[in-house]
Amino acid sequence: MNQNAYANPDVLVSTDWVAHHGSDPGIRVIESNEDVLLYDTGHIPGAVHIDWHTDLNDPLVRDYVSPEAFARLCSRHGITPETTCVFYGDKANWWACYALWVFRLFGHTNVKIMNGGRDKWIAEGRELTRQKPSCPPSQYPVAPRRLDDEIRAFADEALAQSKAGKPLIDVRSPGEYKGVITHMPEYPQEGVLRGGHIPGAKSVPWKTAVNEDGTFKSPGELAKIYSENCGLLKDQEIIAYCRIGERSSHTWFVLTYLLGYPSVRNYDGSWTEWGNRVRMPIDRSD
Amino acid sequence: MNKACPDSEPPASSEYPPKLAAIVSLFEGLPEDEKRETLISYADQAARCAPASGETFDLEDVRKVEECTDTVGIFLKVGSSRQVHFRVSLGPQVQILTKAMTSILCRGLDSSTIEQVLEVPADFVPRIVGGQLVRVRSQTVYYVLTRIKSACRAFLNRERAAAG
Repeated sequence: MNQNAYANPDVLVSTDWVAHHGSDPGIRVIESNEDVLLYDTGHIPGAVHIDWHTDLNDPLVRDYVSPEAFARLCSRHGITPETTCVFYGDKANWWACYALWVFRLFGHTNVKIMNGGRDKWIAEGRELTRQKPSCPPSQYPVAPRRLDDEIRAFADEALAQSKAGKPLIDVRSPGEYKGVITHMPEYPQEGVLRGGHIPGAKSVPWKTAVNEDGTFKSPGELAKIYSENCGLLKDQEIIAYCRIGERSSHTWFVLTYLLGYPSVRNYDGSWTEWGNRVRMPIDRSD
Repeated sequence: MNKACPDSEPPASSEYPPKLAAIVSLFEGLPEDEKRETLISYADQAARCAPASGETFDLEDVRKVEECTDTVGIFLKVGSSRQVHFRVSLGPQVQILTKAMTSILCRGLDSSTIEQVLEVPADFVPRIVGGQLVRVRSQTVYYVLTRIKSACRAFLNRERAAAG
């Protein structure tokens, strides 16, 4: 593995790049946060808001929106299949990576992440605005299907992965992994009956991949974490999970785009599904 | 405590202290966009809910709990007619919605009695915030009310202990 460069270096853009190119034709900057009103308090000029919950999730069934709904979302924000979507947000880009992953789920490949996210933009004293951009509606074709087989894993596939001894990456906190706690540290209980991890999963908390300022670690540092310490090989099929799929989207992004692992899937049902499902095997060892 | 039944009419605003009832009524009349803007406006004012320098209180409860991202301080002052006044300090990591709710509660519960505060049902939250904004990762919007009630109970317990 090349320790000197990211596998796809163009997927990361700097705050400076966004400041200079965010309003270029063919570019759409998208903010996606956990804090539901954060965008409204101020955002990068020209950035549109995609709410992970209301825009990307089906309102009834625990699933993502339909291809038709995704096409309408993109059209509303003036996005075409050729548009380069630059995602950023709070929490070191958790939900930006989640939104990027969902865009990939519908086959939109022109995607980037603003390194460091919202916090870095603000820390640098860059401009924020409350003005919401007006985007002329665009034409966005309805995807023939979601790429569930390629980048998404379901519970039965995660179970098969576990039984086959194939790589499973648990990106939650150590306490969640060991089953000592059943909620994210500093978050309320989200409703899971059992704690622990999927048997065979290795604990690599998502935060391991980022610096204090929310930027991604260097290629060499990431290679040490995932290929040396975790033993992940390029020819392996890898599944990452957390609680509801947002932290594991972050790790999916690191593995797929920054380190170039060709076969990584996000088990978005994650622990809120596994820990509540009858008879799913659970491990609580270190 | 009154709880709304899913299949019945929502509780009348008269079940809330008058100032809170007025805020609930305001929000319920707003379209979605204006509701968000009004919440932001309340959130912008949350800093004014913090204790002023030199202000004294009958009870102070400042802590960070395991299930919250940041420190929240509740400051309670009880007047001669047992009407309460609150100040709330919030750490920088607190969500915008929680800041908005802080501002709303400091105003909405101001001059209520302790007993009125303890009886306030949490069902006013979705009536203010709306269904779209209350989701898995914004449950802390209920947290400030929980802490305010906890402070009121602690005050009453202390009163009873002193009397006994």
